[in-house]
Amino acid sequence: MRRLSLSARLALLFAACTAVVSLFAGLLFSRASEAHFIELDQQLLEDKLIGLRRALPDIQSSQRDARLADELSRQADLSLRISGSDGRRWYDSSSNLPQTLPHQPGLSTVSHDGTDYRVLNAPLYPDTPDSPQLSLLLDITHHQHFLQRMQHLIWLTVGLSALATALLGAWAARSGLRPLRRMSAVASGVSAQSLNARLPEEDMPPELAEMAHHFNAMLGRLDSFQRLSAFSADIAHELRTPLSNLLTHTQVTLTRPRPLEDYRETLHSNLEELQWMAQLVNDMLYLAKADHGLLMPKREPLELAEEVDLLLEFFAPLAEDARVTLSRDGDARLQGDRNMLRRALSNLLDNALRFTPAGGEVRVRINDQAKSLSLSVENSGEGIPADLLPRLFDRFYRADPARHEGSSEHAGLGLAITQSIVRAHGGQIRCESENGWTRFVIELPKGE
Amino acid sequence: MKLLIVEDQPKTGHYLRQGLTEAGFNTELVADGSTGQQLALSGDYALLILDVMLPGRDGWQILQAVRSAGLDTPVLFLTARDAVEDRVYGLELGADDYLVKPFAFSELLARVRSLLRRGSSTHQETSLQLADLRLDLIRRRVERGGQRIDLTAKEFALLEMLLRRQGEVLPKSLIASQVWDMNFDSDTNVIEVAIRRLRLKIDDEFPNKLIHTVRGMGYVLEERQC
Repeated sequence: MRRLSLSARLALLFAACTAVVSLFAGLLFSRASEAHFIELDQQLLEDKLIGLRRALPDIQSSQRDARLADELSRQADLSLRISGSDGRRWYDSSSNLPQTLPHQPGLSTVSHDGTDYRVLNAPLYPDTPDSPQLSLLLDITHHQHFLQRMQHLIWLTVGLSALATALLGAWAARSGLRPLRRMSAVASGVSAQSLNARLPEEDMPPELAEMAHHFNAMLGRLDSFQRLSAFSADIAHELRTPLSNLLTHTQVTLTRPRPLEDYRETLHSNLEELQWMAQLVNDMLYLAKADHGLLMPKREPLELAEEVDLLLEFFAPLAEDARVTLSRDGDARLQGDRNMLRRALSNLLDNALRFTPAGGEVRVRINDQAKSLSLSVENSGEGIPADLLPRLFDRFYRADPARHEGSSEHAGLGLAITQSIVRAHGGQIRCESENGWTRFVIELPKGE
Repeated sequence: MKLLIVEDQPKTGHYLRQGLTEAGFNTELVADGSTGQQLALSGDYALLILDVMLPGRDGWQILQAVRSAGLDTPVLFLTARDAVEDRVYGLELGADDYLVKPFAFSELLARVRSLLRRGSSTHQETSLQLADLRLDLIRRRVERGGQRIDLTAKEFALLEMLLRRQGEVLPKSLIASQVWDMNFDSDTNVIEVAIRRLRLKIDDEFPNKLIHTVRGMGYVLEERQC
């Protein structure tokens, strides 16, 4: 069975709540007015009783009926019956009074011939044991009509307000649930090609903000799955060229007998391809390990200036060859993994050197702050277009498309590895490029 | 000098033995852990090369048995599992070195030689020499054919390493590690450039070249008859 929609459910709940509340209030009101009427009637009847007692000091008096008629004439809706202590009826002010009346003393209500009476029973002479009984009857039909009308009104109110709140509630629920519909619209728009759609978390109501957050996080994970599958495709693509070189070269070499030197040449060439593939596989394993959170940096106390200087010394031959100046500025202490950080920095330096024109400059700046430090590697030269900056850390991404895959020494994993290492240290890396300088900035927390 | 290889993959084991035998080592190969452990405990070997994953007893167990028997035979591990814990574990148990598959044979050979050399007593040399190339370790001077050659500190260290291990093919990674203390995988061509610059000073003016490139493997310093 299809379940009710959330808006319909909320609207019905609102209506039910309003109905219950208004019904309760109506009943309370009608009960209170009834009690009020009874109180008024009692007051009136008791006043009358006192008047009657005063008017009838002696029941046997000959002027009894005249006095009674006189007394009752002042109030048209009032009737009187007097009966003896033995139950015999002595006097009825009107002929159409009910035959039997309740006997208990005090106030009660009686219905007769479509007329409602409030009856007050009391002895005429309270101090005398065998006193005749007075029964004062007050016609309260108009009260009852009023109460009945009011009950109708209450039911009508209950019905109408329930209907009104159902409608208003439906409207309120619909508008209240608008963020949910927006969420479902975004979700329905997500396909394998558009995983970058995100819900605006900040203008969501708090109840949905968390859900939106989880939803976005899920999209993020899906996105990374997609990148992972693209990654596998890239690996296959990267390995295809060296593999086909190996196959072709080996097959061609084996097609006919050759001088020894040719075999040696083939093996050497194969070795180079294989070495390139081995390096690729090792880099991929390193990245895979980083993806699984298995890259666990040691915490060694490091002097960054010392580390950087060692690296600059390492790169010195390359820099001199390319006629590029290397320099370092600043110092900081850090808890980190020496070899991993050296590898990260060496990738940045290698990268910087490759893109610095002759006569250019590569500068390493260390900026020590209270809780973190930043380390930037910047090189002069042609900048990188802003739209390419975020892609630099993608695996297999090469800034110069002229370098075709497989043939180069660089598989395009260096910056991705650097990023993994920085992240494993709890840091961030970004790249900026302006005014002829390209700058990679690493921000690292210092640890304790 | 006898080496023991315990490796269960027949092809890998075969090529390791062939390579090491041709490099001049007396090499024995076994494919299962139990036999490997028995042989290792005999104490006849100068070096053990152990695969981690083995039938019978794994590499760690063999290493433990060897160390608890009081033998300090150097042990080099071959592992396909490139996990940090593996390395830590192996080194805690007393392994001397490890190589992660896939590795280059030249790398293995260089490390085997390093481990074997570690044990032997090194007498203090004052100079190293090959053909007419002479390196004075005390005065930090290099001469070739009586001609003084100026080298930077790192070039000197590089040449010293080549001279000390003359005839050995030295992979780039080993050179980076020994001369610059850079112990990480890197695809940078710093070493190529450094070697080229050293060649410029050492070899260029002389007909008899001493520094040779072994394509895809590394560099070797030796005198070759042309």
